[in-house]
Amino acid sequence: MYLDKSIKEINNLLKNKTIKPIDLVLEAFDNIEKNKDLNAYITLNKEEAIKKAKELENKEVDNILFGLPIAIKDNIVTKDLKTTCASHILDNFIPIYDATVVEKINDKSMIIIGKTNMDEFAMGSSSRTSYFGAPKNPLNKEKISGGSSGGSATTIAAKDLLFALGTDTGGSIRQPASYTGIVGMKPTYGRVSRYGLVAFASSLDQIGPMTRNVYDNALLLNAIVGKDPKDLTSSSKETEDFTRLIGEDISNMKVAVPNYFMSDIVSDEVKDKIKETIKILENNGVSVDYIDMKYLDKAMILYQIIAMGEASSNLARYDGIRYGHPIDNPKDIEDLYFSTRAKGFGDEVKRRIMVGSYLLSGDNAKTYYNKALSIRDDIKKEFSKVFEKYDLIIGPTTTTTAYNLDEDMDDPLKSFMDDVLVIPVNMAGLPAISIPVGKASDNMPVGLHIIGNSFDEATIYKLASFIEKKVGEIYE
Amino acid sequence: MEDKLTKEEVLHVATLARVKLTDEEIEKYRVELKQLLNEVEKINDVEGYDKERMIAPWSDNTTLREDKSSDMLDPKEVIKNAPKHSGNYIEVPVVIGESEGA
Repeated sequence: MYLDKSIKEINNLLKNKTIKPIDLVLEAFDNIEKNKDLNAYITLNKEEAIKKAKELENKEVDNILFGLPIAIKDNIVTKDLKTTCASHILDNFIPIYDATVVEKINDKSMIIIGKTNMDEFAMGSSSRTSYFGAPKNPLNKEKISGGSSGGSATTIAAKDLLFALGTDTGGSIRQPASYTGIVGMKPTYGRVSRYGLVAFASSLDQIGPMTRNVYDNALLLNAIVGKDPKDLTSSSKETEDFTRLIGEDISNMKVAVPNYFMSDIVSDEVKDKIKETIKILENNGVSVDYIDMKYLDKAMILYQIIAMGEASSNLARYDGIRYGHPIDNPKDIEDLYFSTRAKGFGDEVKRRIMVGSYLLSGDNAKTYYNKALSIRDDIKKEFSKVFEKYDLIIGPTTTTTAYNLDEDMDDPLKSFMDDVLVIPVNMAGLPAISIPVGKASDNMPVGLHIIGNSFDEATIYKLASFIEKKVGEIYE
Repeated sequence: MEDKLTKEEVLHVATLARVKLTDEEIEKYRVELKQLLNEVEKINDVEGYDKERMIAPWSDNTTLREDKSSDMLDPKEVIKNAPKHSGNYIEVPVVIGESEGA
């Protein structure tokens, strides 16, 4: 099976014409068919993917991602390919343009295989708020894959294909990556254009790569970054080769572990795995210090205020006029709005836009929102201070391993608690990755979270790749 | 602290968010929204922070694009996803009531 080989091997096979892109595409669809019960996809793009693969047969293999299948989270718009955000309100939405990341993927001659399952509008931490039902964790089908990029994590962990895109507003790439034992990177805010990403919380959202290994991850990031005139918040920072530090010497690196990340909120088993990893680093010349950081424990509250506030405003556009399923014969326009949204949105989304609207209304904006923005600024400064002394910050990605799909969904705080360790990163706009570092006694993976300074993804990949290799040696 | 919102409070936030609720939902959200708001309330316990605000973690200067038209979309394509449209127009119910319009 070709998709089990390394990216370099596949690239060589394509170059010397031993295989064609269509072989990879058909193999991916076979895998997806076999793993259908995992519910990783909302829409498959089979006809178009096969057509594209055949077109590529006449093209020169001009880059390492050429001809490779990729899965796209269903909140990233794809021209003429249904994009639902896992919501009833958009379940008939056919975008008329491609997101900038999709254009970039097409420029590399990658082949879009389908749109992956997720929490509705990316609101949730287990992908169970999807209108289309939750994806299942390939490592144990009783367990969640995490969320909100649960479908992308599932298809990578199931080894259907090598590449997927996810999005991360408060951990939605890294947390499912941790639960499914794959590699997920949230790049620096502004690295990747958000044009064509259906907005949830615009000051937090970022698109990023989800892959089986660190090297592939850096390659996919190479392909999607860059200034985009269509996204004001995309950065004009020069792009670079994110694989360039992989394999370099890591001794003398300085790493910080915030005490909060190893506090009582984290299970002992998860902490033990992280401590083992820290030991490996120390044995290889990395200095690791435990430090105190202010406000990390407040990030979840800030997230609730900022993300729900921004969401309530971003989701105002789903009104039954421009999108959605309007009711017949509404009394007036208000009736149309109220009824369309009642029918179109699920429970979690309703909860969040109600609280968000409340938090931004009248004087509440001052009491809550402005205050949250001030503390957010302090969190960013707190991180900056740490990065004056240290190259990277590490800790666990999640407090526990993946839990059961049938666990209670009625606690409105649960989905936020699942992301308590990853949310601070979105507040400060920093890049961070989750990589697997072994398994707990339930045989489910534990993720290591590596946070870098703004625009320093390359250093994250350097350490991540070293750890991946060492951990691999232990488990072989 | 009361552990539930009143029915009126729930209806108020539902109106802000333009969502119609069933009686059953109102009862459910009386508890759930209160739980969320209790959590959010904890921001008032935070002290000693700096007043400077960060709206987004983004530091580039704002640049304006050149005043040239580009990436034009076909209006017919643009309104394709609107549930009710005719020609190049999106259809909406009457917005101004009769008494206001008179």
